[in-house]
Amino acid sequence: MGFNGISGVLSAPGEIPWELVLLFFGAGLVFIFIWGKRTGGLAKFTTVDLIYIGIGAAFAVVWEFYIGAFLGKFIPSNPFFGVGYTGRLIALLIVAGLVRKVGVGMVAMFIFNLLSDLISYGFSGEPMYFMYEMLTYGLMMDIVIALAGKNIFGLRSSSRKSSLNKGTSIGNENAVSSNVFSRMPGVYLAAIEGLVIGVLWAIPEPVFYSGFIAPFLYGGVVDWAAIIFGILAFIPSALIIGAIGGVITRRIVRAVGL
Amino acid sequence: MNYLLVNLISWLIFFFGAAFPILIVLRVIGLTGFMKVTRFENYHTFYYNMNPSVKIMLGIVVTVVAALTIWWIGAILTVVVLFTYLTLKNGKSKFITGFFLTMITIIGTTWAFAPYTPYVILQEAFHNTTITGIWTWPSYFTVMGYQKELSIQGLIYGFQISMRFTAISLISLVLVMTSTPSQVLRAINKIGMPVSITFSLVVAMRTIPRIFEYIDTSVKIQYMRGLGSNAPKTIRPFYMLVGAINAIVPVIVFLVRGAKDTAISADTRAFRAYRTRTHMQPVSIGRADKTAIMMSVLAMFVTAMVVIMGFGRAIPYL
Repeated sequence: MGFNGISGVLSAPGEIPWELVLLFFGAGLVFIFIWGKRTGGLAKFTTVDLIYIGIGAAFAVVWEFYIGAFLGKFIPSNPFFGVGYTGRLIALLIVAGLVRKVGVGMVAMFIFNLLSDLISYGFSGEPMYFMYEMLTYGLMMDIVIALAGKNIFGLRSSSRKSSLNKGTSIGNENAVSSNVFSRMPGVYLAAIEGLVIGVLWAIPEPVFYSGFIAPFLYGGVVDWAAIIFGILAFIPSALIIGAIGGVITRRIVRAVGL
Repeated sequence: MNYLLVNLISWLIFFFGAAFPILIVLRVIGLTGFMKVTRFENYHTFYYNMNPSVKIMLGIVVTVVAALTIWWIGAILTVVVLFTYLTLKNGKSKFITGFFLTMITIIGTTWAFAPYTPYVILQEAFHNTTITGIWTWPSYFTVMGYQKELSIQGLIYGFQISMRFTAISLISLVLVMTSTPSQVLRAINKIGMPVSITFSLVVAMRTIPRIFEYIDTSVKIQYMRGLGSNAPKTIRPFYMLVGAINAIVPVIVFLVRGAKDTAISADTRAFRAYRTRTHMQPVSIGRADKTAIMMSVLAMFVTAMVVIMGFGRAIPYL
């Protein structure tokens, strides 16, 4: 029993070397900073952004501990589909769609994790879980936002512009933009971006949790065959849920009228 | 015939673990029950006079004690914490909700571990090589990760693990029920967290009970419009679940639309104009806090004694 339930095992058989984990976290952070500056995704949070983050985290908590927790009981524990994953992904996608700034994924996961500790888990194993949730799920979402910039889920190109100058033809817009993705209808773009985040979110649980955090906290042996199977088995449902989540996000954000 | 019966009973056992907790939720706790245990109400007993940081500390102490000691100490802690619910405002109804939440956790956790835990771990946990099976699952259940048989040891193992969580979730809810969000904000700011993060956190804390409230309203409106009115009586409670799922997206839109008003009212009060905030009521350590701290120290001391006496954590929780 080490500090706060962390055994600090770095040499469990099959455990990912900690240098590699650190490298991913560091490289990811640097990447979202630099790339976010280029695409304009890096900006200061306004007060309303902070409120969106709070509401999204509250939804994720309600799903994780109350609604989803009971629905999940009907489905036996399986590697193909996760009820908790579904709700959390959609809640966080909605926050990302509303805020559309780099860092929203990490801040929202931080609040979600802090709330989970306050409401249910009681800070055991911290700060490892903060790092895990923020720098895997949060960071992966931020990488996609940094890549897509403010246009994530095809939101600005369709809703903002069309509300400003309704008369202009869409053909004009196409001529200006050289990127394939900008010519795509917003719904497809939303589905694709949701899908990418969904698939990225299928990775942390098997790779980072089973491969590093769990052995680091408790020790034990890492079963890489199970990890690879876990990722492959989860991807089909992650694709579908991610795509649906992206479309839902687009609908909600447009209903809110940003 | 025999084959059919075995299948039928196996699936009944399987669905018991899933449906029984959900029935408790729908029939006894309800959305208003969740709202009650996640919302602050003003009152003046022991917990309400405490500093929120001390309440967070109490939570950590309970976590540590439950993690370090044998299962029945966790069980005693659970009972003790549950009985302190009686001192809260509307203590009786909160006690009942807390009791059923604990029941759900126990059943849920037991069911989540009992059928799956490999015999190797059970043998290690009970220092015993014989596993007493009480029910043999049909062979295809192994696809779901089930072991061949449901064993008494598996059930006991699951139950003992649940005793590690119950006290923690009960004491954690106390913080939410007995401190105002602004008290929590002040306490967390004291440990140096940026004000923008605590602001988001407090918004989230205020939002959780409101989500239950709005979902409840939405479900009632759906009932008024005739949801499930033609269904037979036995499956009618499950329409609440359908209604709740239908309500999620509209509730999100509704809450998010209100966000702008909250932002305007915070900004007009010069939120984030300065890096730090001043507070009208200082956060102080009062008599209730001292008592709580004394109790935690005592609890830690007793834990240390108990571990030395050999009642430390007895089963591997993995």
